[in-house]
Amino acid sequence: MDFSPTSLSPAEEALRDQVRTFLAEELPPDHRPGLGMAARHDPDFSRRLAARGWVGMALPPEYGGHGRTAVDRFLVTEELLSAGAPIAAHFVADRQTGPTLLHHGTEEQRRFFLPKIAAGECWFSLGMSEPDSGSDLASVRTTATRVAGGWSVSGTKVWTSAAHLNHYFVVLCRTSPMQDGARHAGLSQLIVDLSAPGVKISPIPYLDGTHHFNEVVLDDVFVSDERVLGELGGGWSQVTGELAYERSGPDRWLSTFPVLREFLREQGPRLSDQLAEAVGRLTARYWAIRQMSLSVARSLDAGHAPSIEAALVKEVGTRFEQEVVEVLRTAAESEIDPGAESLFEDLLAEAVLTSPSFTLRGGTNEILRSVAAKGLGR
Amino acid sequence: MSEERTMLSAAADEMFRDLCSPRTVRDAEEHGWSPDLWEALTEAGFPLVGVPEAAGGSGGDVADACALLMVAGRYAAPVPLAETGLLAGWAAAAAGLALPAGPATVAVGRRGDTVELSGAEGAWRLSGQVSRVPWGARCERVVLVAEHDGRYWVVSAPTAAATVTSGRNLAAEPRDTLTFTSVELDDALVAPAPESVTPHALMLRGALGRASLIAGALARVTELSVRYTEEREQFGRPVARFQAVQAHLVHIAEEAQLAGMAASVAALNCATALSFSDVAVAKIIASEAATSVARAAHQAHGAIGMTKEYELGQLTRRLWSWRDEFGSERSWSRALGHQLALAGADELWPRISTGLLDDQPC
Repeated sequence: MDFSPTSLSPAEEALRDQVRTFLAEELPPDHRPGLGMAARHDPDFSRRLAARGWVGMALPPEYGGHGRTAVDRFLVTEELLSAGAPIAAHFVADRQTGPTLLHHGTEEQRRFFLPKIAAGECWFSLGMSEPDSGSDLASVRTTATRVAGGWSVSGTKVWTSAAHLNHYFVVLCRTSPMQDGARHAGLSQLIVDLSAPGVKISPIPYLDGTHHFNEVVLDDVFVSDERVLGELGGGWSQVTGELAYERSGPDRWLSTFPVLREFLREQGPRLSDQLAEAVGRLTARYWAIRQMSLSVARSLDAGHAPSIEAALVKEVGTRFEQEVVEVLRTAAESEIDPGAESLFEDLLAEAVLTSPSFTLRGGTNEILRSVAAKGLGR
Repeated sequence: MSEERTMLSAAADEMFRDLCSPRTVRDAEEHGWSPDLWEALTEAGFPLVGVPEAAGGSGGDVADACALLMVAGRYAAPVPLAETGLLAGWAAAAAGLALPAGPATVAVGRRGDTVELSGAEGAWRLSGQVSRVPWGARCERVVLVAEHDGRYWVVSAPTAAATVTSGRNLAAEPRDTLTFTSVELDDALVAPAPESVTPHALMLRGALGRASLIAGALARVTELSVRYTEEREQFGRPVARFQAVQAHLVHIAEEAQLAGMAASVAALNCATALSFSDVAVAKIIASEAATSVARAAHQAHGAIGMTKEYELGQLTRRLWSWRDEFGSERSWSRALGHQLALAGADELWPRISTGLLDDQPC
């Protein structure tokens, strides 16, 4: 395992300053910060961010990207998340689908999708989970059957965040029946247009009453051969690789940061010793986890594949996001009112209601621990 | 890490591996320390790394000294390595005092300590009592910062002149109380403190040193836990195959890495000037990790970990001691929290995201 301390170059610091200035100008004074990936879906914001070159920034210029590094993307992302900026429209495409298309997509797919992703105009959801497949992804039952010129896909995907707002989702499905118990064979990824005939999207109300999750039923949806992503039958290794990319970024430890900042703002400059202890301790952990997460980005840029490190950062980071909420709740000593005028209380209410998802999404912490523990033994 | 620092760590690792086995540590706990190990370290110049060569030290910076301490922590080294160079040696050298030939320690001014420096050039006298002095009676000198005549003075007091009440920490490392009763000191032992040498600075260096030792010990605890749970079989398979045990291993690895990262970055950021927030973060993270890693590692090990014979206990007893020395996670959290509140909410993120500074020689 290798977590090396890393610092920022002057160019990287300059990038960070530019993003800070952009956000100061872009976000109105009464901006209500969002919590991580659950921040608002704001197409205009995504487009303006893209216009600055900060969406799809690690994609190569020939596909509309900017050829920047993982560290550059890390810096932009942490500024956006710490400010609670409305990133939901482009975030999954930027973090996950873009890199997957670049690595596994055909030339036609890259040329078709990547420039739109980098422009902040093409938004993706993820089509992995099903009613009977959560952590055990290899058990998916959505099936694609061969038809002239492509595939006919049928099945049900659930917990599909923002499917009602996004353009496409990448569906993990079975393209050939399971044989001799080889569970990981015969799975493929297909790019499905969420507006295609046969796609039915219904909301699954989220715990806090918001519309976030969807059920997406696919009923004989036609997907052309050109929209098979990567190798036919190679879906399993693509999906596990994809989950490794998405693991260790700032979205795995910064989701509840705005709650701490607003707590500090409302408390003012003089804290009791007890509150000072809570603030000091949480800040120290932010600082240390950030340095670990940054180190993984640097390692990716050096051409390494720090998958165990990334799993550790996500495991510790997501638990910390939840801990922040509980520490601040006990520090605040008030009954939480979701309609409170106090921005801190408003954010705390949202954080309490949504924080269980932090250690579930993108692979539960139980699965992450198994992945990481196997790596430790090596 | 710079190539030189990597070589320094590798050389130190080799020496500790040869001369600081778990048996060495066990024996040292009977006598209070390991003179043989100390002699070898001294010959290699390790105790005075971080003290300028011009002052009689071995050269190198705070980051070099902390890199050595991380290695020493891995081996639970029963010697006053942090105290001699990073603390006492630094303060003495900065004040222009001669470095003691043998091991040296510091008193940072614990609650209830009294230090009274009186007299003037040619007729200095020292009275007072300092408690929980690391390796106190095993050291030749105790360096302290005393207030006198409206300013700070650095005093390099011979421990032979003190009355010693022995104390120890949970790992049987000496933590002595030294009482000075109107002890005469010649001019070579007292000098005006330069601006950089204050009780606060000594405290910062002490905390950084302990964070480095803790980080080293945690790395070793991780190795021991991974190895043991792979070897130990129950119900027909290695216990590391059980998810409940895996959860302990992952927790140990996470906290050990966090502490290592925080201590390394703080040491690098302090190479040119001490940084309060970096040291506070390092000590908070390291002390907290000490507690939870020790708990998880003992749980993963079962009863073997509870024996004096096995290496784990040598490390966990130090973790349980070092987490409180030079300020616990609570006291550093409190100090950091007050400072952050004064700086204001909008300063919080810029501070968190400052991280490792670019101009450090790393």
